[in-house]
Amino acid sequence: MTNIGMADVFRISPMIILFLSSLIPITIKVIRGNNEQAPAATLFQGLGGLFASAILLATVYTLLGGGAQSTAFARAIVIDGITLWVGLIALMGAAGALLLMHDNPATNGDQFSELVFLTLSSALGMLLLVSAYDLLVVFIGLETMSLALYVMIGMSHEQKLSKESAFKYFVLGSFASALFLYGISFLFGTVQSTYIPDIIQQTANLIGTNRLFMIGIILVVLGFCFKISIAPFHAWTPDVYQGAPTPHSAFMATAVKAVSFAAFLRIISTKSLVGSESLFDFLQWLAVFTMIVGNVAALIQNNFKRMLAYSSISHSGYMLVGVITAGISDKTSFANSGVVFYLAAYSLMTLGAFAIICLMEKDENTSIQIDDMAGYAKRHPLMAFCLTLFMLSLAGVPPTVGFFGKFYLFSSAIGEGLIWLAVWGVLNSVISVYYYLRPIVVMYMKEGDAEEAALDFSATKTAILISAFFVLVLGIISGPLFALVEKAL
Amino acid sequence: MILSAVVFLPIVFALVIAFWPNKSTLKPLAFGFAIIEFLLSLGIFKYFDPATANLQMVEQYVWIERFGISYFLGIDGISLWLVLLTTFLTPIVLLGSWTSIDQKLKGFLASVFVLQTAMIGTFLAMDAIFFYLFWELSLVPMYFMIGIWGGQRRIYATIKFFIYTMIGSVLMLVAIIYMMFLTKDVVGHMSASLLDFYKLNIPFVGGQFFSLQTLLFFAFALAFAIKVPVFPFHTWLPDAHVEAPTPGSVILAGVMLKMGTYGLMRWTIPLFPEAADYWGWLFMLVGAIGIVYGALVAMVQPDIKKLVAYSSVSHMGYILLGLFAFNQFGATGGLYQMLNHGISTGALFLLVGMIYERTHSREISKYGGLAGVLPIFTICFFIITLSSIAVPMTNGFVGEFLILLGTYKADKPFAFIAVTGVVLGAVYMLWMFKKVFFGEKGELVADEHHPLHDLNSREIAVLVPMIIMVFWMGLFPNHFLDYTKASIDHLVNNKNNYELTYQPTNQSSITETQSLQVGSTGVRQ
Repeated sequence: MTNIGMADVFRISPMIILFLSSLIPITIKVIRGNNEQAPAATLFQGLGGLFASAILLATVYTLLGGGAQSTAFARAIVIDGITLWVGLIALMGAAGALLLMHDNPATNGDQFSELVFLTLSSALGMLLLVSAYDLLVVFIGLETMSLALYVMIGMSHEQKLSKESAFKYFVLGSFASALFLYGISFLFGTVQSTYIPDIIQQTANLIGTNRLFMIGIILVVLGFCFKISIAPFHAWTPDVYQGAPTPHSAFMATAVKAVSFAAFLRIISTKSLVGSESLFDFLQWLAVFTMIVGNVAALIQNNFKRMLAYSSISHSGYMLVGVITAGISDKTSFANSGVVFYLAAYSLMTLGAFAIICLMEKDENTSIQIDDMAGYAKRHPLMAFCLTLFMLSLAGVPPTVGFFGKFYLFSSAIGEGLIWLAVWGVLNSVISVYYYLRPIVVMYMKEGDAEEAALDFSATKTAILISAFFVLVLGIISGPLFALVEKAL
Repeated sequence: MILSAVVFLPIVFALVIAFWPNKSTLKPLAFGFAIIEFLLSLGIFKYFDPATANLQMVEQYVWIERFGISYFLGIDGISLWLVLLTTFLTPIVLLGSWTSIDQKLKGFLASVFVLQTAMIGTFLAMDAIFFYLFWELSLVPMYFMIGIWGGQRRIYATIKFFIYTMIGSVLMLVAIIYMMFLTKDVVGHMSASLLDFYKLNIPFVGGQFFSLQTLLFFAFALAFAIKVPVFPFHTWLPDAHVEAPTPGSVILAGVMLKMGTYGLMRWTIPLFPEAADYWGWLFMLVGAIGIVYGALVAMVQPDIKKLVAYSSVSHMGYILLGLFAFNQFGATGGLYQMLNHGISTGALFLLVGMIYERTHSREISKYGGLAGVLPIFTICFFIITLSSIAVPMTNGFVGEFLILLGTYKADKPFAFIAVTGVVLGAVYMLWMFKKVFFGEKGELVADEHHPLHDLNSREIAVLVPMIIMVFWMGLFPNHFLDYTKASIDHLVNNKNNYELTYQPTNQSSITETQSLQVGSTGVRQ
């Protein structure tokens, strides 16, 4: 074993700072004799931690330059382009979720400091996950992230659905983790290593010849499919998203999804699917099936959050197309960057959509149906406009970031000859138009008395306006950001 | 710079309107803006050279370098009049809806201007992705226009409109992306420029549906065919027209349908000449079916607006015939008919809107004897009716005659079917005219409690420019066709290796000169 030097510590400094700052609010609470400080102060401590971590992450990446120097702890951890960009997306998602939590009646209140602590711990797990270069570290990251989440959901002030949701998430999440771990043991048994590049190197050789290796790979992939809600392993998603407090749903749909995809991308990276036809075909069918299941099920939802949950499933399907493309293409292709860009785009618009739902929740037991939005545009034209923007972006209508997300994603697939997947993708986005237009129809074209809750929503509205700004601006000038992402990957 | 100004000025107007504090001055303000935009678009003539088929007033800037996507605007004889049609109709539409739109006025006016940008952009964009952006953007304001200010079944109609159009266009997006990868081999880097697309030589296998050019051809053609709409895909149109408010119908019929035929003319036919040749019969067939079918269905409509909507299906069939005749007459007639249809059907929808404002009914059976009550209205309606059924001296005659001539030269049977359509067109329009304006006074006309008032000066001001255009275009077609001749000759004569070039100006970037060089050496043989 090598000694742990300052160099390693420097590489994980974004995580260290995140951990330290996560302690601040709860320590203050203990010092004050178990009395909450002002929620705004707690919020700023949390945001400060996330911000500091983001700055450090960017600094570490810039100083290391993404080369061979960028691994740490005996190559268990790597700071590369995926770490940087998806890490930033995750931190952004966490920051957005914190803003929503601050205003939401289900999450604000006497345990807000604990919530901030848990959110930051979860974000810590996320950073570990996106920088993991070893399957065991992936597992640790996944568990750190998820355990904090289980508790967060269960802590909601709402008494029934959130408990069910937390329990369901916990049981199914543990099941997925068990599958994943079981898969790792098979891989270790056949390759004698849990180091990801070693495994990828041997994939093409072993997948056709070695049954045990095949089982291991499939179990690992299935574990991921659970986490990123690929059909038919998606069943937990609608229930959990609907039952959890809305800020937490936003957190899961953005940050959790992004990092799980990043880890998946790292495993199915450059050309690892070449030569393993069966796995390649299997994943393609999963992607198509996921898009269809997500979109068709979303058509008939009335609960806004449940609709967004199914939409999130269908977007997993689109992104899986990108992951598959990355799996068969070489370094010069932009499939990786397409997925990462899509994750950023998807996080922005989904965060915004969930934030708008937050505005309508007057207490912890409210559940927002789409029809409840009737007449919203008349009273709150700006917010209605933002929601319109998010919905059109989710549907992939230009000029929004969602369009360019899909453009990059499907371009890479078409460039690698996966035209039929791209055709499935675009046809599915037409189906999705129907349910994304529904809130717009209800808001603008039906009379009603939709009203925002009588609470202070300044933090939530900040999150909405920032997301809307980027959804529109990145829809017009997405080139520079994409070039940056591509350069890093 | 003028093209950028013409495209993006309406968006600026829309923003100003969205933040305009004073509600009572909104209408004059918007009308003034629309007039400014129209005058600005007239400025195009100052720089436009009718003698060349080249792309003119080109503006090209790199937008997304990695994919060769550029901000690329240019104009030639094919797009010139369509842009003018758009800017001409917008002030008329605003004036025409002066009293009919009162609810949520700001949103309405902003939608009109956003829509104007999207439509003009569609006609001027010479980069595939840039084009697609405008193409899709045009759906959003129209979606709101029908959905918010529309009639009873507006929500059904607007969602149908949106999804129908989107199905076609997403497949076109896949085809566009595929062609961007194809350009890599021809120009050396990925490019979304239409001019680079023209240089592609896509392999064509006759008789095989699953061959490259055929598939790409149908991906593009489907998107445009739905927008036109071509016969089996037309069902969204009557719904959208009937439910849309008058200004929405006018813009939809006047300009948005032309986006489809323009797309066929600019993109589908020159990009995939062999496939267009091979499958041309199919489009002529559905065009001919559309002519007869639209006319027959229009004949039995009890609702005036629905009748006009189905007449659109019929008229768009002519344009399709003209475009796929592949000769000078057909193409010129097709382009001319696009403008005619914009004027005459636009005016018809305005007239229907005016009478609807008075009686709140569009049922033909409730009218009758209007001629005695509303003489000015009757005269205007009659002139537009004549234009719509293509009586000589009106604009419709020139377009239809050229199309029939072209079709006759290309494929006689279709010309015979189309001529039947001319007769049927006269039948349903005159029939409707007779029932509404002559005979016994209908229940709405005879209603003593609600006497009908003839057109006021605002409404006359709306119609006069349209009527002037009807005669101007009917009597002096060369005033218009002189500008399109060079481009159409170029399109028809070089059908199988169509290319567009342009003179780089001072503003042009390096990539332009490169593409010009490649163009002049003639990669495509």
